Parts: sequence; C-alpha cells; structure tokens
Amino acid sequence: MPKALRLPGVVLLLAILATAPHFAQSIYYERPVETAPQEETIGDGYKTPEVQKPLPRHFWLQWLDVLLLGAAMGAAVWIVLARRRRRWLVWLNIASLGYFGFYREGCICPIGSIQNVTVALADPTYSIPIVAVAVFFLPLFVALFFGRAFCGGVCPLGAMQELVLLRPVHVPRRLDQALGLLKYVYLGLAIVFALKPALSRDFLICRFDPFVGFFRFSGEASMLTVGAVFLIGGMFIGRPYCRYLCPYGGLLSWTTRLANRGVTITPDKELDCGLCTEACPYGAIDKMRAVRRKCLYCARCYESCPRDGELAHAKEELIEIGGPR
Amino acid sequence: MNPTRVRRAARISGGIIALCTAILAVDWAVATYREPRDESIVKHLQEEVREDPEFAPKLEAENDRITAARLGRRQRGQAIAWILLAAAALFLTAVNHLRAARGLRFVDLDTLKAPPAAQRRKRMKPATNGASAGASTEAGFDTRFVDELVALHGRAKEAAIPILQAIQTHYRHLPDEALRRVCDLTDITPAEISGTSTFYGQFRRSPVGKHIVRVCHGTACHVAGARQISDELRRHLQIPEGADTDPKRLFTLEEVACLGCCSLAPVLMVDEHTAGRLTPSTAPSALEDLEQREPA
Repeated sequence: MPKALRLPGVVLLLAILATAPHFAQSIYYERPVETAPQEETIGDGYKTPEVQKPLPRHFWLQWLDVLLLGAAMGAAVWIVLARRRRRWLVWLNIASLGYFGFYREGCICPIGSIQNVTVALADPTYSIPIVAVAVFFLPLFVALFFGRAFCGGVCPLGAMQELVLLRPVHVPRRLDQALGLLKYVYLGLAIVFALKPALSRDFLICRFDPFVGFFRFSGEASMLTVGAVFLIGGMFIGRPYCRYLCPYGGLLSWTTRLANRGVTITPDKELDCGLCTEACPYGAIDKMRAVRRKCLYCARCYESCPRDGELAHAKEELIEIGGPR
Repeated sequence: MNPTRVRRAARISGGIIALCTAILAVDWAVATYREPRDESIVKHLQEEVREDPEFAPKLEAENDRITAARLGRRQRGQAIAWILLAAAALFLTAVNHLRAARGLRFVDLDTLKAPPAAQRRKRMKPATNGASAGASTEAGFDTRFVDELVALHGRAKEAAIPILQAIQTHYRHLPDEALRRVCDLTDITPAEISGTSTFYGQFRRSPVGKHIVRVCHGTACHVAGARQISDELRRHLQIPEGADTDPKRLFTLEEVACLGCCSLAPVLMVDEHTAGRLTPSTAPSALEDLEQREPA
C-alpha cells in the first residue's frame, strides 16, 4: 500500500465504520404465535409445555461478549507486539477457545456476521442486533492499526487449528498464493447466497463451518468429518481453513494493508540467520520481512529468535541489507 | 519430566482418540442403518393399530425403544466428546513437550530455498561458461544460483563483495560449496574469498544455532577462567575447530567483551538468561538448565 493512499484509506474505512451501524437496524420482535393451536382450541385439558422457545441471551451479556472480544484482541496485540511471548499467547488461545468456542458454541462470530451485515444492508426488513454489527467491525477496526490480532488471539476456529499444529510444513509460495484466492471466491459465494430473497437465503459460512460441530458436540456427520480432516491436515499445514478458506480472513488481510503497526522482523547486520522464516508456518515472512496481511499473530518468529533479548524492543524494520534479491 | 512417560502418555492418548473416533463412527453408522428400518416398523405398527387397537401397547413399546436408543446415543456422544477433548489436550501437550525436548528439527535451507529461486531465474542468461551451467559440483548442491550471480556481477575481483552479500542473503550463511563455485568461475582466489568473508561481520561461514551462548571474556571473567569455560563448552557441545555452532545447530558460541555483571564472574548468557559463578564442570549443566527454561 503506497503511503499516499494510507490516510485517505483509513478515513474512508472509519467513515464506513461510523455510518454502517445506522443502516443496520435493531428491531426486537415477538414471533406471533396466535396462529398456532392454543390450549383452548386443543381442549382435553391440554397444557402448553412451559418453555417453548429458548430465552434470548441477556442484552448485557451480549455486550460482555463484545467487551471480551475487544479485551482479548487488546491482549493479543500487547503480548505479540510489546512482550513478544508465544507462551502467553497460547494461554490466550486456550481461553478464547474455551469461551468463544466451547462456552458460546462458536456463535456469535465475526466470520458468520459477514452475512448478517450483508443482509442487513440490503434488506430493510431484516433485523440485526447491534452486537452483531459491533462484532463484525471491531476486528476490522483493530486490523486497521495492528493487523490480524483477531486471527491470532481471539478466533476460536483459529485457536483450534493453532493448537493442533505440531510439525509445520512450508507450503510452496505459488501454491500458497493460488489456494489463498479460494477465500475470496468463498466470500463472494457467501454474499451472493446471503443476498437472495428471504426464503431461499442461505448462510453458507455458518452451514459449512467445519469446526462449529466440535464446539457444540453435535452436527452433521459429513461436516464433522470435514472438520476432522482439517484438524489432521492442520497438524502439518498451518491453519488451512484460515489461510485458504476463511472469508473474514480475506477482509482482514485487506484492511491490514493499511496498518502501520504490526509484527516486525528486525534482522541485524550480523545475524540474518533466517530462523524466523523457518519457524513461520504461514509463509508470512518473505525475504526476512514480515508480510503483515498474511501474519496470523502467532509469535513463533519471536520465539525462534536467538537474539530476541536484544531485539525485543526494536520496533522499526531495518532497511534492506545485502545485494540484489 | 521423564521422556519415556511422556511418550507413553502421547501413545495412550492417541489410542484413546482413535478409539473414541471409531466408537462415534460405528455409533453413527448403526444409527443411520437403523433409522429407515425403525421408521418402517413404526409405520407398519401404526397401520396395524388403525385396524386393531390391540396393537397399541406394542407401538408404544417400539416408540419407547427408539426414543431410548436415540437418547442413549446422544448421551454416549456427549460423554465421548468430553473424553476426546481431554485426550486431545493430553496428546497435544505430550507431543509438544517431546518436540521441545528434542529441539527444533530444521528443514534443510538449501533444499528448501534453492529450487524456487532456480526456477525463477531460469529465464535469465546462464553463466559465462555456459557448458557447465546448472551442473552440480558436490552432491546435492545446486550451483545455478551462484552461476547467475557471477553472470550478473561479472568475473572481476571487485565483484567479490556483492556476490558474497547475495549468497549470504540467499542461503543466510556462506556455504563452502558456493564459495568454491565462485572461485571456479571468477578471477577471485580462494585466499581472497576467505579473507573477505572472515573480515566482515556481516558474513557468516556456518548457519547459526537455535540459541546463542555468549561467554563473557571481560577482564574479571578472563581472570576467573573464561577461557576454560569456553573450551569446556566447545568440548561438551562438540563444536569442531574453527566453527562456532554445534552439529545439531542448537547452540552458537560467542565470546563477548563484557556482560556487565563482573561480580558473578565467570558469566555466560543463553539467549537472555544469565548464569554466573561458573566452573568448567558446572557450565554445561547451566547451559541445559537455561535452555530448558524457555523450551521451543
């Protein structure tokens, strides 16, 4: 991203962030149940069972989720950029997996909220809770300044794949780039299906979420199998879903192009040993510099650095050294 | 922790994961096989009940059986899911622990980096003596990269530093085979290459290890026997003469001027951890202690 475009880009995105919630209305409604047979019409002393519909989550608890999302992203940024400790990030991952994954059962998540926001923008009769809008925009907002902290610190799908990664293999760059395009195709399809009229509308991202079945301890056998395949593959290929399929990852990598702070690799003149490049399972270090739009905030590069003690507070990227590349 | 016990834990938890998955799969297969059969039985019974109310208890019993089977499967599924989760956590912890203890296994840089670079540069003109372009001198070493560098920078002596810099950025150290190839192709002599590559701090002749060990050779440490500490570490890590990194590429040994804690002399640092008041007999164990404090 050229420097000249950075400021207008940030301003434009901030404007979108500020105005979007106004388009996304928040309507509370009760489903009209009068049309269904009532106790009197059924007769025979029939009693309606007590709880027919699950109670909605309390409004303030929903805001608590948003707050935790923001706090977790803040923690990820602090751990990765200021402390540079992978160990702490692993604990953050486990906590996020526990709360946003197993406790909240993978919902509400920014990945799926792409569809809600799309529909809300297109269809004025569709009601979307303001929390969904906040969850959609908050990680993008953070990415605007610090990069994909959401992917590395908060996303339960990412945390799951992060934790199973045991023996990373480097994916050839060309193949990596080609597969990376899939997520934009998926994003397009998800938007197309979300924009269909109400009856044929389909939320593809949620329906084909390979990991949500694990969070809920139930799901279609086919999707659970796909999820298991992703996890087994994820032991060797770093976070395959995030890098090649996640549509929200695509959006985040776009906004990250505007970020002016983020993971920096600082090789010094006498030690461009490249151990960080070796350690990065996501191919996000190219020619000894971090590629922020691909960086998933795992801090493995810092963990592998033999000179981390010295470079811990070196936050500027050095100018390029050496001959032609 | 005892590695054999960790390995056993990994094996057992892996077995539990496989077993649980198998149980879930069988459970699912049985359920999908039974579903249409149960449905047809119920439908059949419903028809019979319509003709003859005597069959009603039988239908009810059948319905109860199906409900019980479904509830049972659900409960089994929940229990197995919790076991799976615990086993997966144990498995991942154990395997990560084992990997940390063994140290990082490196993918060989040359096999990793050379092929794409060579392909990218294929379109460029091959080296001056075209006949040997792309030929391998030593086993497995691809000389094409060096050949192209020479074609780019020329064969004169002034090209030595740009060529060495390019080799350093490509391989992240100066492999001997590459330097030999440079000598073969250009007017630069091995002595000049050797002199240049050891004079400048920016060039390394061997890849760096995972941890950097800095042994203080300041005045206080020197008096307290830093030389003996360095020698003992070299012996312990089996670092060959003239090299600074052990064959496993775990430790790179450096001698530094002063670490600033002379009261602890002799002192060394492993990455950012410091150990002081060493003796030749305690130095190797200090190295291991410090390395384990921050496992990979």
